[in-house]
Amino acid sequence: MVDTPAITNSEARVHERMRIRKERVRGSLIDLVVTLGTIVIALVVGFIVTLAVGKQPIAAYTALLTGPLSQVNRLGNWLQDATTLILIGLSVSIAFQARQFNLGAEGSLLVGAMTAAVVALYVPLPPILGIIVPLLAAMAAGFLVALIPGWMKAYLNANEIVSTLMINAIIANLYQYLLINFLTPEGDNVRRSALLPATSAFPLLADIFNANLGRANLAIVVVLIVVIAVWILMRHTSFGYEIRMIGANEKFAQYGGINTKRVVMLAFAIGGAVAAIGGVHLAMGVHNRLILGISAGLGFEGIVVAMLARNNPLLVPITGLFYSYLRIGGDIMERTASVGAEIVQVIQAVIILLITAQFVIEYVRTRRNRRAAEAKL
Amino acid sequence: MDSALKVIFSAVFVSTILRVSTPLILPALGGLIAELSGASNIALEGMMLTSACAGVLVSVYTHSEWLGLLAGISLAEVMALILGYFHLKLKADIILVGLALNILASGATIFVVYLLTGDKGSSTKLVSLEMPTITIPIIKDIPFLGEVLSGQNLITYLAFIATGLVWLFLYRTRLGIHIRAVGENPDAARSVGINVSAMRYLALMLSALLAALGGIHLSMGYVKFFQRDMTSGRGFIALAAVYLGAKHPVGTLIAALVFGAADALSIQLGNLNIPSQLVQMIPPVVTVVSLILYAIARKRRAAMLQRRFQKTSV
Repeated sequence: MVDTPAITNSEARVHERMRIRKERVRGSLIDLVVTLGTIVIALVVGFIVTLAVGKQPIAAYTALLTGPLSQVNRLGNWLQDATTLILIGLSVSIAFQARQFNLGAEGSLLVGAMTAAVVALYVPLPPILGIIVPLLAAMAAGFLVALIPGWMKAYLNANEIVSTLMINAIIANLYQYLLINFLTPEGDNVRRSALLPATSAFPLLADIFNANLGRANLAIVVVLIVVIAVWILMRHTSFGYEIRMIGANEKFAQYGGINTKRVVMLAFAIGGAVAAIGGVHLAMGVHNRLILGISAGLGFEGIVVAMLARNNPLLVPITGLFYSYLRIGGDIMERTASVGAEIVQVIQAVIILLITAQFVIEYVRTRRNRRAAEAKL
Repeated sequence: MDSALKVIFSAVFVSTILRVSTPLILPALGGLIAELSGASNIALEGMMLTSACAGVLVSVYTHSEWLGLLAGISLAEVMALILGYFHLKLKADIILVGLALNILASGATIFVVYLLTGDKGSSTKLVSLEMPTITIPIIKDIPFLGEVLSGQNLITYLAFIATGLVWLFLYRTRLGIHIRAVGENPDAARSVGINVSAMRYLALMLSALLAALGGIHLSMGYVKFFQRDMTSGRGFIALAAVYLGAKHPVGTLIAALVFGAADALSIQLGNLNIPSQLVQMIPPVVTVVSLILYAIARKRRAAMLQRRFQKTSV
């Protein structure tokens, strides 16, 4: 053994590395096929429901599946909706990686929108800083608010689903209260804040490309940065490694010397900061002010986005665009064929159910691999 | 302040507490059974919503509140079977399946109501039948008590009876003890021949039955119509009641009553000159604060027991 030439050794290593890479590519390909299969099945279920309803099912489904591309302004709506969804999906995926069911994105989003708007309205800021300062303030606020359920879960072992939903309810009421009583200008009979200063508005894509792209705006640049930042955090820092370790086996992570409580709490908080950016986008990009019901339930749509992406930050933009496409398509379907847009929610539920059931497929696959390995021995 | 106090100590207020607690007590008891079997039922919310919707629609079209009740319970049971199948058979994460069922219930109920009435917000166009209210002779003539205890909806009485029945079932019957054993230590239970899967299916189905009764009360007692997402988090508050009640039927009942009282208080204060948003924050604030206090108290007690144990063992 001692005399084994170094060359064969490194050759073997290269060979091994290529085998692993091939395996990994095969694994992702299977994932891709399974995910696409899931989507197809869910869409078929949706179609069967539409058929059963019997109101021009073909026209309705055509509107759902091709609607967003049929007009330029719908394309803009799609981009704008996806911008928020991708951020929410990223937020959810961070906690999901640690196997924490953080449903607080909705609350963090509202806190982010509120903080960004208040800073933009009351702090005079030059261009560029007018965007960066409210953005950072909102992220800090989102971080702090999400710290609460994180602390409750990590240190007190309080059920995070209950705590995040209750905190969402508190924030939603607080948001309304502050908006109606302190931010609505006197004499305005619509309950909304004043328009934000132009220095604090994300430039619209419509102005840049001179096309009717609705309210889609340059916040997509922020999204790209956040996607890469979350990817680096999760895949290339020890913190991300610790989160994934906890997700894989919390006890093992603890024995390995990871401060699991601190990491779990921070996973919530960082998710909150990311979701808050979604709120910033709504306040400073889409509406340019605060309005009642600004989140429109977006906070809960992140679950399906994160799950379809298998919590991989680099895939979240793709799944976010996909799911947002369905949402916009659903709206168009409702307007043109009067089939309720809630069919999209039904499709969403089917997707989540099928993906959770796929843990079975993974289980079978690992068992088959193990058996193959044993056979080799 | 004076008027607020007067409101709180009135018979109407106590009667309101019983009424608004009903759709918390029932799902909380359901959540308790599921929790004790080791299968958390996150889908309580969706089950309540589905049965609330089915109850109204079926009662309107069949002119029978009992068929409405039956339909509501049946659909909730179907959801329990789906939850059980995905979790127990396909080994899917029960929390994610529960969340999916909640999303499904929220979307599907709005979809169906829109289909039938053309209205997305609520089914107010259809006048639902309601579950009967019950007047108790003799008691109804006692001042205060009569106003509180008599004339409540049938399901409100059921909620309190159910608490006793659930206690009896869990602690005094073979099946109930098996269910708790499965939750305590599935491997040990399996080793003495208990069918873990069957016990959890049973627990989820009982859980669905109780959640369905809560949902029916919401739409066919509390009010007489279905409204989109009308459960508004009650399924989750019910889960909180399970933890706060130390996973015991009586504790769960008391915790649900506390949340109900917070809810009733917010309804009563709503009549006074206080911003409604602040008032509506009371139930969730009470829930979060009590979760925190309960967890701290539990931790302290554990630490104390440990210290005492160490002292005696030295």
